Amino acid sequence: MTQAFILFFGVLSVVFALLVLMLRQPMRAALALIAHMFCLAAIFAALGAHVMALLQVLIYVGAVMVFMVYTIMLLDDRDASYRHVYARMLLPALVVAALVAVALLMLLQGGAGADAAGVAEFGISAFSVAFMRQYWFHFELATVLLLIGIVVAWTTIKESR
Amino acid sequence: MSTLALVPLLPLLGFLVNGIVGPRLPKAWVSFIGCALPALSFVLTAQLFFELRDGGEPLTTTLFTWAALPGFTVEAALYFDAVAAVMCGIVTGIGTLIHIYSIGYMHGDRSYARYFAYLNLFLFFMLLLVLGSNLLVMFVGWEGVGLASYLLIGFWFTDPVKTAAGIKAFVVNRVGDAGFLLAAFLLQWHAGTLDFQQINAFFAATPAAPAVMTAIGVLLLIGACGKSAQIPLHVWLPDAMAGPTPVSALIHAATMVTAGVYLLARMNGFFLQAPDALMVVTWVGAATAFFGATMGITQWNLKKVLAYSTMSQIGLMVMACGLGAFSAGLFHLYTHAFFKACLFLAAGAVLHALHGEEDMRNMGALARRLPFTFAVFLVATLALTGLPPFAGFFSKDEILWMAWAAPGGSPLLWAVASAASFMTAFYMFRAVFLTFLGGDRVAPDVARKLHAPSLTMTLVLAVLALDSIAAGWIGLPGSLREWLGTTAPFYAFVEPVTGHAALREGVSHSTEWLLMGVAVLLAVAGITLAWWVYGRAHRSALAQPRGGALRDWVANGYYVDALYERGVVGTLDGVSRTLLTRGIEPALAAISIALPARGAAALARSFARLQNGAVQAYVFYAAVALLVMLGWGVLRG
Amino acid sequence: MNTHALLVGLAAVLFCMGLAGVMIRRNVLAVIMSLEIMLNAVVLSFVTAATQSQTIEGAAMTLFIYVAATCEIALAMALVVLLVRRHGSLDVAAEQELKG
Repeated sequence: MTQAFILFFGVLSVVFALLVLMLRQPMRAALALIAHMFCLAAIFAALGAHVMALLQVLIYVGAVMVFMVYTIMLLDDRDASYRHVYARMLLPALVVAALVAVALLMLLQGGAGADAAGVAEFGISAFSVAFMRQYWFHFELATVLLLIGIVVAWTTIKESR
Repeated sequence: MSTLALVPLLPLLGFLVNGIVGPRLPKAWVSFIGCALPALSFVLTAQLFFELRDGGEPLTTTLFTWAALPGFTVEAALYFDAVAAVMCGIVTGIGTLIHIYSIGYMHGDRSYARYFAYLNLFLFFMLLLVLGSNLLVMFVGWEGVGLASYLLIGFWFTDPVKTAAGIKAFVVNRVGDAGFLLAAFLLQWHAGTLDFQQINAFFAATPAAPAVMTAIGVLLLIGACGKSAQIPLHVWLPDAMAGPTPVSALIHAATMVTAGVYLLARMNGFFLQAPDALMVVTWVGAATAFFGATMGITQWNLKKVLAYSTMSQIGLMVMACGLGAFSAGLFHLYTHAFFKACLFLAAGAVLHALHGEEDMRNMGALARRLPFTFAVFLVATLALTGLPPFAGFFSKDEILWMAWAAPGGSPLLWAVASAASFMTAFYMFRAVFLTFLGGDRVAPDVARKLHAPSLTMTLVLAVLALDSIAAGWIGLPGSLREWLGTTAPFYAFVEPVTGHAALREGVSHSTEWLLMGVAVLLAVAGITLAWWVYGRAHRSALAQPRGGALRDWVANGYYVDALYERGVVGTLDGVSRTLLTRGIEPALAAISIALPARGAAALARSFARLQNGAVQAYVFYAAVALLVMLGWGVLRG
Repeated sequence: MNTHALLVGLAAVLFCMGLAGVMIRRNVLAVIMSLEIMLNAVVLSFVTAATQSQTIEGAAMTLFIYVAATCEIALAMALVVLLVRRHGSLDVAAEQELKG
């Protein structure tokens, strides 16, 4: 049952990713990307990693994609990139990417080992406690990184005036 | 280090020292090093000679194994037997004397150290040539003396005429060397060895097909012609007189030009199995003797007279070898070395006194100004013309006897050789009369600066003159030996190696006496004719040379030189100008210069197109690289 | 087939699709979106590993990937704005200043 679920959402995520690649208008591509991320969140949930699914939706969709949508709304224009969707090296790039996929798949065979015994640590409270116990320092550093990111973004925009 | 190996290596040391640090050393040191080392070689040679003479075995010294390939092994080895002993003695002995003479002759020269360095280098190579036990070591010496000859002929290299003479000598030598090499290849192919003793033994036992033997013999002869200035490769010798006179004495009279004769004598075992080749050798030698003498008659340059005389005398030696009389040829080589070196050095004294004047038309009556030089020159000339009891008589007489009496000889051959001897007497005394006697034609300003030769030059001249008298006494001809009841030490020493020449049937000793008398008469007749024409103070004889077109033909060397110039050099020049310059050169330049240049530029341009500022292209390159790495991982399994 | 192996394969495929997108789209924003697809594929593989081995290390890693992605998007958008100001369009080809 779980496997069918995962399979279904896996195929769906591929479809949405394909749409991102093929849609002409950036706004539509962004929406396809959001849908793709929702599919991934569903897969995480089916795997039992509820925290991950939560965080995926909250952070990735809720922050990253919203920001991207803002920018699209600000900048979208019918310019040259609207008329020509693809760059000049469409075919070589596709070929190379496909070959890389094939190579990766061949290399990753037999990589996945047996499933370990399940101890559902991925419930919110359990995960939070374990995470904060071991990674609280990294967490604090990550907040510093975020602060730096904000400052740099603002500075970049500001200085160019 | 064995004694034998030291003999060539000492002059090499002298070359290195004088060549590298010589210009910074005081002249006395340079002279000392330059003369002492060859003298030391001579002492060692003498020691080895005495050991050999007192019942010793021929000495072999192997320096190292040169090449050891499957089927072809050659060693760098030296071999000292009777023939090598004679040659070695001549080279080191007369070489040392000439080094000492050079101290006086080259006294004021700028490149004093370089001169002695080259002279020592020459000795080294000549000794390698003479002592080499196989064709390869001999060839090293062969080429080396050619090089030393070039360096010394063109010693005053700021004069283009002299450098051209040096180049000519080297190039003509090279033609001979081609013959030498081809002969060596054929010998290696047929006999499987290049060692002299083995070759002689091999062909004595199993001679190859006559055509092969003749071919090898002729090729060896070509090599000998190149070195010994025989027809048709004789054109370099007169031009070689451009070098300093001691060089002419050493290289072009006593040693290098005799290398060809030495080669023939070394290969005697081989040659005795190639009668056709010997016939060619005989007639080449006779022709050179004859025509060289004719050209000597017409020369006005004193040194060129001596050059043609050398060519002619070596022709006699070569002829002797062709008749199978190798020992006679070697004996004449031995005596000729003494009196020809003496002649050249005396001529050098004259030149030195006259500050470089070489034309006999501007000399005359020098006998009273340079009496010692005159005496020495006269003694040596008498030796050369073959009057008893001087040295040249005994050796030349033996050759003339062989020309009549050997199986390959004939009255005709004897007549040709005798005619050459007659002309030799004539033109040598012509030179004596023009230079030392007769009317005084020396320019006044030159006459004022005239000076006698220095001490070193005088000493050496004295030694050589004495030898010109006495050297012949160790090789008396057969009939004289019987009459006097003595032995001929020279022949006894040398003939175990060279063998004794066979005689035709039916010739008797009385014929030998008769021919001896005829030879003496011819020499006297030549001297008398020279006196008649040149000795009676006839200035008019010089003003209009008689003979017209014939004289011009002879004086210009029968236009052989011009023939070579136009035929060989001109053809090569023409080919170079038309075919090579206009045809091949542009194509080669396009392929080897233009193509790589344009190719490199095109390659660079194609690489430049990769850097187009498009970030996606760079990502693409990265993806390709990633693919390559992953692919490698996949393929590795 | 093993679910986890399937998911790892899915992650590889999604990664390459993102890679392709980076190379072939001409709109800058679409390129950044393809970059997000690649990041998501990596997150997927981490979560798969975490659930398979039942450790929290993989999940912790994904958290930090989210942090990095957030910073990245902020800066990326700032740069996009700057780019548009400079070149006047969202076309990647317009930013090509070298002649090659």
